[in-house]
Amino acid sequence: MAEIFDRLIIRVLLAAFVCLMMYVYRYAHVIFYPSVKRQVLKKINPAENPADSLHLFSRLIGIALIFSSVSFNETSGFFLSIFHFAVWGMIAIILYLLSLYIVESIVFYNFDYTDEILKRKNMSYAVISFCHSVVIAFLTRTVMSEAENSLIILLVLWLYMLVIVGISVKYYTLISRLTFNRLLIQKNLSLCFSYGGFALGAGIIIASCFDQEHYDITIYCIQVLLKTILSLIIFPIFKKGLFYIFPIKLGETGGHEGQIESDRQSYGYGFYEGAVFIAGAILTTMIVNRIQFGTIYPFF
Amino acid sequence: MMYKFFLYSILIMLYLGLAKALSPTETGIQYLQNERGFSKIAKDNRSTLILIDTHATGFLIKTYYQKYRLITGYDQVEELIVRTSKEFARKNLPHIGLSLYRKNDDREEFLPLPPGSAYIGDTEFGRWRKTRKGQVWKFHKPFRNFPKYLGWGEFQPDEEFFKEMKTHVSLNKPFFGVHSEFGPNGEVTMTNFPHFFNNDRKKKVDMQSLLIEYFKENF
Repeated sequence: MAEIFDRLIIRVLLAAFVCLMMYVYRYAHVIFYPSVKRQVLKKINPAENPADSLHLFSRLIGIALIFSSVSFNETSGFFLSIFHFAVWGMIAIILYLLSLYIVESIVFYNFDYTDEILKRKNMSYAVISFCHSVVIAFLTRTVMSEAENSLIILLVLWLYMLVIVGISVKYYTLISRLTFNRLLIQKNLSLCFSYGGFALGAGIIIASCFDQEHYDITIYCIQVLLKTILSLIIFPIFKKGLFYIFPIKLGETGGHEGQIESDRQSYGYGFYEGAVFIAGAILTTMIVNRIQFGTIYPFF
Repeated sequence: MMYKFFLYSILIMLYLGLAKALSPTETGIQYLQNERGFSKIAKDNRSTLILIDTHATGFLIKTYYQKYRLITGYDQVEELIVRTSKEFARKNLPHIGLSLYRKNDDREEFLPLPPGSAYIGDTEFGRWRKTRKGQVWKFHKPFRNFPKYLGWGEFQPDEEFFKEMKTHVSLNKPFFGVHSEFGPNGEVTMTNFPHFFNNDRKKKVDMQSLLIEYFKENF
């Protein structure tokens, strides 16, 4: 009984420590978004600015996702395991916020956080930012698990992941019929659903590319690159196929160009594109990762 | 549209190039375009290469492999698999169990002959011995394992075999033994290199039995 009680206490203490790390994160957030200092460090009023609430709390989901990849090893002692969590937790926070900053600088290069979220309360911007938070967290989590407590490997893989993500976000303009910058200015929600689906799909594909055994970092990186290129080859086939199997009608028959454009900017079209992107991405990971060709060497 | 097509083609080429550079079948297995490549595999003097199996993998585009037994003159034997061209694999399909390459000093021979033909008649390796059946070839003691390596089993080459072999060499015609003991229809080859003749290889796919087997295994 005493042992069970002791373990319960350890769990409670560790939970409290994780909360402490989340508190640290709250301050770390201010480093990258100094304009929200007053709002974040005091009590938050979600009703005042829902876009900002979504923007801030999506980070909370992200950091929780990343923390879930760090494990406590009680056998090495309570304080050592707490120290391990603190070190890797801090690294995770830094890498996560840095990744988000870089990715958002690429995607929102024409936009400013203060203008869009604090002044214009742009919900489309917030939803896209939410998707970035979740996807980047998911990828950082994958990279951290693959690094297996090696800081050098973590840094190499993280940089590599950022390059792939940076390139893949640019891919959106090639595959979507929606104009990103124009619709984002218009606070169009169709765009955020479509882009959200794309970002989540890209996240699923990239995470699956990183998720493989590795013995040699160079070979591993080449294999990740190979899988990424293969995904880029396979994904358009699914996208085209799904668009062909589930055709949509835009505008009335014989309707004018403006009607088609207006339909394209509706929620429905955004859902449609987003769903196709996610479904296509999941099916792509199946083709890339789930086909077994048997032994590589011909034994006969 | 053209821009997307161009980008897609570049991606496919990039993938194929990278995958080729990394593929173990490209880097780990030697490629044999034709018989001229044998010298890269059998580098030692007095070596002989016996084709013991051939295999093709792939769905639409086949990759061909051949398995050789390499015997070097001084009691060394190893088996190796090489990737080969479709033409070469098909050309040598009737030569299973035969020696396709022999190296003696600087002389190279490519005529398909029964295994061990490079050593028969060479007093360095053995001698003719009189038996009730007549003169038969016997290897010297240090080479006593050669009949096993060469896949002879109970077969013992006699003088008639040797003469026939010489005639075929002079005519530049492949030789399968006096009674066609060697090759894909030869008994000696079938007994000693049984992999190629395995019944599973010849089994034709019957859809009904395939489906029954599948449902039995999975449900």
